[in-house]
Order: sequence, then C-alpha cells, then structure tokens
Amino acid sequence: MLHGAPFFFTEVTMNKALRNPLTYLLFVLPALLLFLAFFIYPVFTAVYNSFTSWNGISQDKAWIGLGNYTTALDDAAFWQSVKNNGYFILFSCLIQVPVIIIFSLLIAQVKKLKGLYKTAVFLPSIMSTAVIGILWGFIYHPDFGLMNEALGLLGIEPVYWLSDRKWAMLAILITNSWQWTGFYIIMVLAAILSIPAELEEAAVIDGATGLQRALRITLPLILPIISVVIMLSIAGAMKAADIVLVMTKGGPAGSTDVMATYMIRYAITSFKHGFGNSIAVLIFVFTILITAAYQLLVARRVERMDSR
Amino acid sequence: MRKDIVKLTLLLLTASVITAGCAGSNAPANGGNNGNSGGTGTETNGENNTQPEDEPFEITIRHTQVGESKKFRLAMLEDVVKQTEADIPGLTIKLDGVDSEVNRKEKLRGEMAAGKPPEVFDVFGSPDAALFAKEGLMLDLTPIIAELGIQDQFTTLDPFTYEGKVYGLPIGGSVEGYFYNKQYFEDKGLTIPKTLSELEQIAEAIKTDGKIPFAQSSKDAWIPLMTTNNLWSYYGGPEITYGFKSGETKWTDPSVVEGVAKHQEWVQKGYFKKGELGFEYADMRNQIITGEAMMMMDGSWANSVFRDPEQAGDMVGKIGYFNMPPVKEGDPVVVMQDANNGYGFSAAVADDPQKLAAVKAFIGNMWTEEMQLRGLEEDGVLPAMKIDLEKMKTASEDPLMQDIFAAVSEIDISFPAFDALVQADVNTALSIGIQQIIGGEGTPESMLETVQSAQESANAAEQ
Repeated sequence: MLHGAPFFFTEVTMNKALRNPLTYLLFVLPALLLFLAFFIYPVFTAVYNSFTSWNGISQDKAWIGLGNYTTALDDAAFWQSVKNNGYFILFSCLIQVPVIIIFSLLIAQVKKLKGLYKTAVFLPSIMSTAVIGILWGFIYHPDFGLMNEALGLLGIEPVYWLSDRKWAMLAILITNSWQWTGFYIIMVLAAILSIPAELEEAAVIDGATGLQRALRITLPLILPIISVVIMLSIAGAMKAADIVLVMTKGGPAGSTDVMATYMIRYAITSFKHGFGNSIAVLIFVFTILITAAYQLLVARRVERMDSR
Repeated sequence: MRKDIVKLTLLLLTASVITAGCAGSNAPANGGNNGNSGGTGTETNGENNTQPEDEPFEITIRHTQVGESKKFRLAMLEDVVKQTEADIPGLTIKLDGVDSEVNRKEKLRGEMAAGKPPEVFDVFGSPDAALFAKEGLMLDLTPIIAELGIQDQFTTLDPFTYEGKVYGLPIGGSVEGYFYNKQYFEDKGLTIPKTLSELEQIAEAIKTDGKIPFAQSSKDAWIPLMTTNNLWSYYGGPEITYGFKSGETKWTDPSVVEGVAKHQEWVQKGYFKKGELGFEYADMRNQIITGEAMMMMDGSWANSVFRDPEQAGDMVGKIGYFNMPPVKEGDPVVVMQDANNGYGFSAAVADDPQKLAAVKAFIGNMWTEEMQLRGLEEDGVLPAMKIDLEKMKTASEDPLMQDIFAAVSEIDISFPAFDALVQADVNTALSIGIQQIIGGEGTPESMLETVQSAQESANAAEQ
C-alpha cells in the first residue's frame, strides 16, 4: 500500500515517527486550531466583554468590572427569568421524564405497527420550532383552539393560554415537552430493546407480572440512559429561547422570559452587548453548576448502581 | 527521528501553502469586484485617486426590499440604480437584499462592529443611525444635501440627525391614526369623532352592538403604545416626550398618567378583544377584515393591506381613516408623524472620490418629488419629503388614500414616536409596563414610576 508513497513513508520511518508524541500533536493541530478559534476564543471574549459596557459596535470597550453582573443580579426581572428556567427543568424532570418512560415501556410492548408509533412520536422533534409555535398558537387560540374546545366540552370557561400570565408559562412548557418527548422516547426505547430477551423470558417463567417486569427488570437496566435524558433536558431547559420567542416573545409583560430571552430583550436589542455577554456567562455558569450538582448527587449513584 | 519529524512538518507546510495558494488565487478577483470591502481601505483608495475617473468600480447597496409585498419598492430602487449607473462612468452597483429585521438586528450591526458596512445601506434613524454616527461609521450627508439643494425639503430629518449633522435620509413617512369600517359607520349612522369623548361614545355603541370597538394585538408592545403615545400627547402636549431624556419632564407627570389611565379605562370597559395580549400584529388586521372589530389604531402603512383584494377580500374600498381626535373640539389635532427608515452611507466613501460621486448621484436620483410620488402611488407610502397635498391627492385616487391625505391635512402638530426620543431601556420598561396595564396588573402611577426610574438610569448612563 505504501509502495507508491514518497520515500519517507516507509513502514520503518512511519513507525519511528508515530513513536514521537510530537507527531500526534501535528495531527491534532488543525482540529485544535479550529476548536480554539471557534470555541475557546469566543468564550474568553464573551467573558472579557461581560466586564465592559461595550455597545456592540464601538472600538472602545470601557471596563466596568462587575457592574453588569450586579445590574443583572439586582434585577427582579432577571430572577423571574431564572425562575422560568427552573420551571423548564422541573417540568422536564417531574412530568416529561415519567411520560417518556411510560410511553417507551408501552411502545416496547407493542407487537404490531411499532415503526408507526416510533415515527409518530419522533415527528415533532424534526419539526422547526417556528412551525410548532404556529401550530400550537392555533391549538391555544382562545376562540377556536383545540384546548378550549376540549375544555368547553367539560363545561370549563375559555382559558387565555398565551395572554394570561397565569397560564402562559404552562402553555409553553406543554408545547416544549410535546416537541422533545418523542426524541427522548426513541433514545429510551433503543435502551429497552437492547435488553437481552432472556431476562424477560426468565422473569415470565418465574411468574412476574408485566408491571413487575417493567419496574424490577427494565427500569433498573435503563436507568443510565434515563440519567442521560435528564442531563440533556436540564441543558436544553437552561438554553431555551426559541420556543418562548415564537409563542409569547417573553410576554405577557415579561412573565415568560427565560434567561436567554431576557438577554435579548434587555441587552441585545438595546445595544448593550457588554450586559448581554454577562447574561450569557451567567447562563453558562448556572448550567455548569446545575449539571455538576446533578452529576455529583444523582448520576454517579446511578452509575454505581449500574456497575454493581 | 528528528529528520522524520522535519520531513512530516515540511509535507504539512507544503500542503498548507498549496491549499492557501488555491484560495488566494481567487482573492484578487473578489477584491476587484467587491469594491465595498472596507478591508481594501486606504491602498485601494489611494489607487483610485490616481486612476482615471471612468475606471470600473463597484458599490454595494444593502436594501430590504425582499419578498412580494416589497416588489414595487424594489422596482423603484432598480430604476434609481440604472439611472445612477448611467450617470457615473465605470460604476457598477451591486444590490444586496436582506430581510429588514435580519439587516437591522444582525448583519448591519456585525458589519458596523467590524467597521466595514456596505457603501449604501438600509438603516433606521433612531436609535441606530445616531449610534453608528457617533462611532464615525456613517457619512456626513450635510454638505451633500446642501449641494443638491434638498436639505430643507424633508418633513423631518430629526431621527437621522446627530450633533447637528445629517447621517441618513428617510425613504418614506407615516402617520398613525384609526382605520375604520366605513360601511358599518354608515349603517349605524356613526360619524367621524371630533373629540375623544365622541370616540368613546362610538366605542360604547359598537360594544353594545356586540362588536369589538378597537382591534389591537399587544403581543408586540409597540402596537398598543401607538394609542397610549397619542393619548398622553393630547393630555400633556406632544412636547412633553422631548423632555424625558433631558430630565425637564417626567413620566410621572399627571398628564402622562392620565393618558395611560385612559388606555387602561378602555381596556377595563372591554373596548379591546379579550386575550389580545397574545395576538400577533396580523390578528388585529384580520379582526377588521372579518368585521369582528370596527376601528384600529395603526400606521398609515397598513393601507396596503386594506387596498389589496388578496388580503382584504370584500373589505377593499370599505375601510376609511381618521386621526385620533383631540380632548376638546377645536383643540389642535396632534398626530404621530415620523420618517425613521431610509438609507445611510459608509464613512469610508468620503475617501474615494469615485464612490462619493456615485453616492451623490444616488441621492440625487432617489430623493426626488417624482420618486416620492411614485412611492405613494405604487406602494401607499407617504412621502418623506415635503410635497404639495394637491399633488399627493392626484397621485392616488384610492378612497382610503384620499382619507389619509385628508387626515394629514388636518394635522396641527405632529410628533415623532416616543421611541425615537427616549433610550432603548426606557422603551423596554414602557413596553413591559403597558402589557402589565392591559393584563390588569398595577396602576398607571406605579407603572410610570418604574418607567421614570429606567429613564433616570438611562440618562445617568449617558452622562
């Protein structure tokens, strides 16, 4: 294979070269440069800008220390947006994840049309968020929306889903879950289907009921993947923005703003890029803290259980 | 061993040089065509200075005339481009169409941050143009419009003026007032109100009839703020808004409170559709088109919707327009009249005589009475330049346009929209505030105290 190669690419020289760590560094260099240019450099620039009052255009960046951070941390609207990110996390972990598990267990048991079910639940996750915003805008419409039609059958007065601050956040959370549940179901389903059939058969012979098999065999075996689903949900919840923008634009009166939309409303549109960068850094820090806490408190235990 | 490493490194370097060489071979060609690249900077400019005047060169015009609804405006721009190319030997104009929102919020800002905007670009007057001008990125047009003799021909250049110099020219103007269902008014014997209380009586009558008096969509706060802005300008006088930034007047002034309280009263009386805080801009127009609502506060630009059979259906010809009436009959009619969108030019153009000549020719061809009337006739956009009302009336025989012309002729005092006069942070605070008022939270007093506090912070930050 190396016959036609230049003289220095003989097997001996190649082996010699590969024994030198510098060779590996050379191979890694292009990727490393790209990583530095497109990830490390922007992150450090954002951190630097967050300590300035830069307007996003000027060549001068006045250093204001922690000014942007104290402004954000003293602002009740910012904490409202943090709270809304918290609702995203809680809704994902307490409602969405159980729904994902139940649906995955159900679909795994289906004998006919399993492919159809899988496609059907996966479909929303490949739709654009803008389309989903319009679609659910119709569903939540106060006059002719599906939700109010359904509630009307039960004799419940119309709910102003997207314009009443009591309901707007819930409306967004439901839509967001609808969009992403299918994606996670496919992940969990893959884990369930990879469990050896012998375990299930042995349990059936031992007389275990369906519920017992699901709770005692399937669930413990898919815990690692559920842990991954929760991690992804937390990360997704912390950076949520598009679904809020298409559904309520953070309204009414900023009641559905999350940190990312707070950043757009209070910083980017007002030519306050220094402040915007400080919010971006705060999102980054909060996400790291929450995911680290989750890793330390929950995920590692799951891994330990898994390794036993 | 070391030799091997050197050889490997040499190979990598050679490969890199060859690859870079391939890419580089295109660079001069691009550079030559793309004259707008600010990166070519002084060197190119230096060359141009010594070259004959008809040496081929190119400028880029960043416009936002994208999509079906802007086809007339694009055709006008293309005609101006052809004329300008014919006027200036060697000139090629490259048109770069970008969605308005993308251009304003992302592309132009990025180019400005890099210090390389296109030679000609679509720009909003306030607050954008002032910010770019402050950084020395926009061409001072004051001597050019003086040379062309058009400096006094604009209705207003305030949004594009920074420290006494003009940095952009508005392409069209607009007024804000009520579109209404003419047919319904005739059927019910309603007439155009002369006072605010008459307007309220009409609203009450419409509500009693089971219809919605005012179509409104408050998902975007600027929409209800058109009404609020006009109301406080009546109660406190339009000059009150000019004083917020200087600190001479305060948002907590009782007259501003009265204006916001009146808007709140209309909400509480059910003059707007319930749940409208969640509605998009298009929804309120649909409320008028479907006959669900009878009046709608909007900018004069909305006439294009009501004159288009594809959008307005049977309602074409049945929609009229009137100004928000004053508090008392005979008081001056006070209306928002603004011209905040137009074209700006890169400061780098000043260093290149050929490009400067091209920009002058472009301005000379674009801002003429003929083009302004064409914009009015084809697109329904009010002129940004002072044009005789009689000439405007002949430009469009459409009854809705005639109503708008009549309303314009009734204006005694015009004022720019509040967001052209206050900082962006204040606009954000007021936007949140008006949505709270519509949502039934808080009082006008407490809401305006928050806005005043944002105003004071913004004023302090500027000093």
